[in-house]
Amino acid sequence: MGRTAPTYRQALEERLKRWEAFGRLLTTPEERAAFETLRTGARRYVAQATYVGSPDLLESILLSVLLDLARRMPKASAGAPALAAE
Amino acid sequence: MPDGWLLDITESRDGRDVVLWLKERANARVTPRALPYRLPFLVDGAKELLEKLQRRLRDDSRVESAEWQVVRPSLFDRRRRKLLAVIPRHLYDRKRVATYVDAVGEYHRFTLYDVDLGAPQLYYLTHDLYPFAPVTWDATTVTATAPAESLDLALAPAPVSVRPFAIELAGYPRDGIVPGEPPVAAVRIGDALLEGAEADLLPEVMRELARQDPDILLTDGGDSFDLPRLYRRAEANGLTPETFFLGRAPALWTPARKARSFATYGRVLHSEATFPLPGRFHLDRANSFLYDDAAIDGLVDAARLARLSLQTVARQSPGTCFTAMEIAEALRGGVHVPWKKNRPEEFKSGRTLVAADRGGVIFLPPVGVHDQVDEFDFASLYPHIMVRNNLSTETLECRCCPHSRKRAPGLGYRSCERTLGLIPRTLQPLLTRRLAYKTAMKDLSRPIEERKRFTERARMLKWVLVTSFGYQGYRNARFGRIECHEAINAYARELIAALIPKAEAAGYRVVHGLVDSLWLVPARPGESPDAPAFATAMSREFDLPLGYEGRYRWIVFLPAVTHGLGVPNRYYGRYENGEFKLRGIASRRQDTPTYVRRFEQELLEAFGKARNAEELRATVPKVLARADLFAARLADGGWPREELLITHRLGQEPEAFVTFTDSVAAVRQLMHHGVRRAAGEAVRYLVVDRRSRSLHDRVVVAERLQGNETYDVGAYRELLARSTETLLAPLGVTREGLLARWGAASAPARHRYRSVESSGQGRLDAVVRA
Repeated sequence: MGRTAPTYRQALEERLKRWEAFGRLLTTPEERAAFETLRTGARRYVAQATYVGSPDLLESILLSVLLDLARRMPKASAGAPALAAE
Repeated sequence: MPDGWLLDITESRDGRDVVLWLKERANARVTPRALPYRLPFLVDGAKELLEKLQRRLRDDSRVESAEWQVVRPSLFDRRRRKLLAVIPRHLYDRKRVATYVDAVGEYHRFTLYDVDLGAPQLYYLTHDLYPFAPVTWDATTVTATAPAESLDLALAPAPVSVRPFAIELAGYPRDGIVPGEPPVAAVRIGDALLEGAEADLLPEVMRELARQDPDILLTDGGDSFDLPRLYRRAEANGLTPETFFLGRAPALWTPARKARSFATYGRVLHSEATFPLPGRFHLDRANSFLYDDAAIDGLVDAARLARLSLQTVARQSPGTCFTAMEIAEALRGGVHVPWKKNRPEEFKSGRTLVAADRGGVIFLPPVGVHDQVDEFDFASLYPHIMVRNNLSTETLECRCCPHSRKRAPGLGYRSCERTLGLIPRTLQPLLTRRLAYKTAMKDLSRPIEERKRFTERARMLKWVLVTSFGYQGYRNARFGRIECHEAINAYARELIAALIPKAEAAGYRVVHGLVDSLWLVPARPGESPDAPAFATAMSREFDLPLGYEGRYRWIVFLPAVTHGLGVPNRYYGRYENGEFKLRGIASRRQDTPTYVRRFEQELLEAFGKARNAEELRATVPKVLARADLFAARLADGGWPREELLITHRLGQEPEAFVTFTDSVAAVRQLMHHGVRRAAGEAVRYLVVDRRSRSLHDRVVVAERLQGNETYDVGAYRELLARSTETLLAPLGVTREGLLARWGAASAPARHRYRSVESSGQGRLDAVVRA
């Protein structure tokens, strides 16, 4: 609706679409599943990334993906409970 | 004691007067009173150009006068200036003369004000009057006994008599296909059903209207069906607008506004032509978005505040009402209304643009069934933010407060600390009013009728308040400014961010957040924080009204089909008080066929008995058994066809469709029978054979439904499976699983398309295979 800059959500989806080609040339199911996890992780923190409003799209995506991985790591830090696989 | 009420003001047909429609208290009769009134529009520009223009206009036969006037025209002007006030000879010439003036100024040398204000609107404002005002009158003047903004809840509303109005055509049901112009066989006015040959019937309609003399004619499709057809039949019978009219005075038979299709927020909509009446209101339920929600009393209240006719308010969007209220407030402050908005967006760097142009906080909720969830909502958050922080077109980045402490978080936009802006001034009374209505509607000591009235008014105001925010960013909004829009969002985001640690300190964990609402669960299961106390404490802390909506027995957050994460606005749940809250599911959509709606209702009924998430999970087998039963009955082929009708709103003009879908088949079938649907209008149809390539065999449109057609069992089971999956996906139910369970194979391949020209297709296929 007459907006000049795309929202983070839109920009993210566009970038993830670009990444699809990357996934297409992966050869094992494990890699493909891991790649899918990565993409889901990027989507999980849309609200937070929007709140930051960084002009650097990749910064926001990487931060989201890393956080998603960190929270999945078993006993990553003291006191953080391991999360069951989803 | 008032003498009566002012119902409406219209322009006289000769364009020299306004007509006040007054309802006498003593005998409930409505009489017109014509008062001479011609309003000026203002022209601003360089002095010598204005002087030249004045000489030119004085020789113009369309212009009554062009005199100097000292005013402060725009919101941004500090001092008063000399402008040219032009009064056209006739009210209906205003726009024509203004366009001429604009052309003389080569479309940029002059700024024009007050051009598109209606004469009634300005008459109301300059004479302290408003629609439905209690008034006293004498020979020359009409005076309101209370101002429009007064909030006297005990004041009885203006009494209006309402009569349903409908026509019946000879030999054709209303919802069928009507070829040509069959005669009108009957007309219903209130309890009276008039029948007979048209030549007698039409004059009888006039007599019956005079006898019952209703203030409001309430129709269901009057703008698209009853009035235009009736007028055309009157014409066929040799009557004229002077001899046949439905208002309290003759009016043209042409629509006041033509039908049109338009796109808004990614949707294509269609609005009907409008047929308002002078002296009597024509309200068309089918052409009124607000009627269903706000009812007549809500509309009357909005008409009063906006100084717009009831007929206009009913047909317009709440945004139009808000704009009219802004205009009223501006004129009261001596500021005039620019004809063409001339305030481009400020220049911004790409970096600022990315930072500024963001919406509210929208979390992705955790998919699944949850219980012990408390919901908190800010009431009218955005309007409150605008008022609190003085966000308005002219108060943002004002010159008088370079060191203002009111700065939008993260963006730094300043707002004025000295003068309250136009938008806060417009909004504040609306907020006060809505709060008063909401308190009154919950006051059990009041009679139920009164409480219903307050509910309707509160709902209407809610719509107006909701649009007040969106209109800051809308390019056509008179007093809107995109930076305001951005600042409001910035304040809202900051608020939610600040609330999260507060909620955690109170013993909560955040499950979901959406712009102005939060869903919280106890951080330690079983230990419930005091929700109402939390709401009160936060309202005080942030000086914004945070309300406790209630606790859910259970709530189901639904996933997106594409990526499986939660969708912010798709969930259903039941509060402790028994109320359901449904968002984004099929029942909320208008196009859902009745049988799907019925299934959803049964599902919700079954789930409704569950007291928590665990009990809900235990109910799933029972719900699936119901789904099986629905699927089996569909397969029997005996499901009532009416319940299977699918409604589809056309996204483009019928000719523009390329792919042959069910709805395209329906629209072409209608066209085959001589009925045209425009973009934004809906088609309703039964799917007969989804695989057919023929517009006759694929669907049957509702207008031609007999009730004994066969239907496409596969298509309807598929639809049932899809909506069941939507609701039960978090509980492990999939569409494929359901279809397998019902013994339905996955959809069979379509018939290969063979056009008449491609008779050699088979041979070609063989060649390709070889």
